[in-house]
Amino acid sequence: MTIRILLVDDHPIVRQGLKTLLEGRDGWEVIGEASDGAEALDKAKELSPDVMVLDVTMPRMNGLEACRVLRKRAPQLEVLFVTQHDSPQMMREALEAGARGYVVKSNAARDLLAAVEAVSQHRVFTALNGRDAAGTR
Amino acid sequence: MKLRILLADDHEIVRRGLRALLEKHEGWEVCGEAADGREAVEKTLQLKPDVVILDIGMPLLNGLDTTRQLLQHDPHFKIIVLTITDSDQVIREALDAGARGFVLKSDAARDLVSAVEALQNKRMFFTPRVNDLVLAGFLEKGHSLSKNETPKLPTLTAREREITQLLAEGNSSKEVACLLNLSTKTVETHRSNIMRKLSFHSIRDLVVYAIKNNLIQIEIPPVKTTAGPTGPTAA
Repeated sequence: MTIRILLVDDHPIVRQGLKTLLEGRDGWEVIGEASDGAEALDKAKELSPDVMVLDVTMPRMNGLEACRVLRKRAPQLEVLFVTQHDSPQMMREALEAGARGYVVKSNAARDLLAAVEAVSQHRVFTALNGRDAAGTR
Repeated sequence: MKLRILLADDHEIVRRGLRALLEKHEGWEVCGEAADGREAVEKTLQLKPDVVILDIGMPLLNGLDTTRQLLQHDPHFKIIVLTITDSDQVIREALDAGARGFVLKSDAARDLVSAVEALQNKRMFFTPRVNDLVLAGFLEKGHSLSKNETPKLPTLTAREREITQLLAEGNSSKEVACLLNLSTKTVETHRSNIMRKLSFHSIRDLVVYAIKNNLIQIEIPPVKTTAGPTGPTAA
């Protein structure tokens, strides 16, 4: 299955790490990168990705705000947060903002591929540290 | 012969990114990885890499104390520390600990290769801000702490700093004893000494102290419903 992915994180090294992981899957392609929420909105409009992998804490515009805007502008685009915040409150806020998935950065190597696969099929995927992946629905 | 590099960061995704960056460079190989400071010490002593790259904010043993421990074993280890902040205090502690390179995580994609090249050529590598501080005489002997600066950890021994970090990370005395192969009683004695030396009465005081002195680092979440700048980020 082909999945076109936009990567958004303010740290190039993190984007590089995520990219090497995602591009290990046949048919998955990282079609663009952005380093803040505002740039993510521009790139989403330009590239029309299937899935956006989005950080929460970024300069200029944070990921939650970008996600809220995206929900209105591009409802077909699925958002997966990959964040440092291992917090149920933050996860709830991310899902309320319209995200379909939430993965903690420290577990990204374990959870990212399953999460992208789930959200690309419009299923929810959430996993906090110390808890099993909450599965999908 | 290849230059052998050891990478230590608690985030596997960051290690992947760093590895991809470094291995693009001909003649370099990442010979090992570690997810915390204790593992970094163990693997460095075992693998004897040419360059060690350490995140400052690692669990169990932070990057600065890892640097100190490694240089106690062998002062010839070449160590680059990666940090999310270049505050005066962090810079000074990294230099005091003996790091020969200092790179901001946010600039790692740009600076890390240059830093490794510098160490390979027996030079040091620091961000422009470090150079500014050195030039400004911040490291001169007898420099007195400014009014707002928090006194650091000179009164604690290396073992006490290690135990302070582990307690501040939420480990019980029993868990610390297990991690360090000590008896619970010995850890309790260290704990009492730490609290006495620092005049603390609660674990909360110790946590605040550990954060202020970069023994542990925390992530500040963005403020709800704001779109503006959002505080420091960690990779």
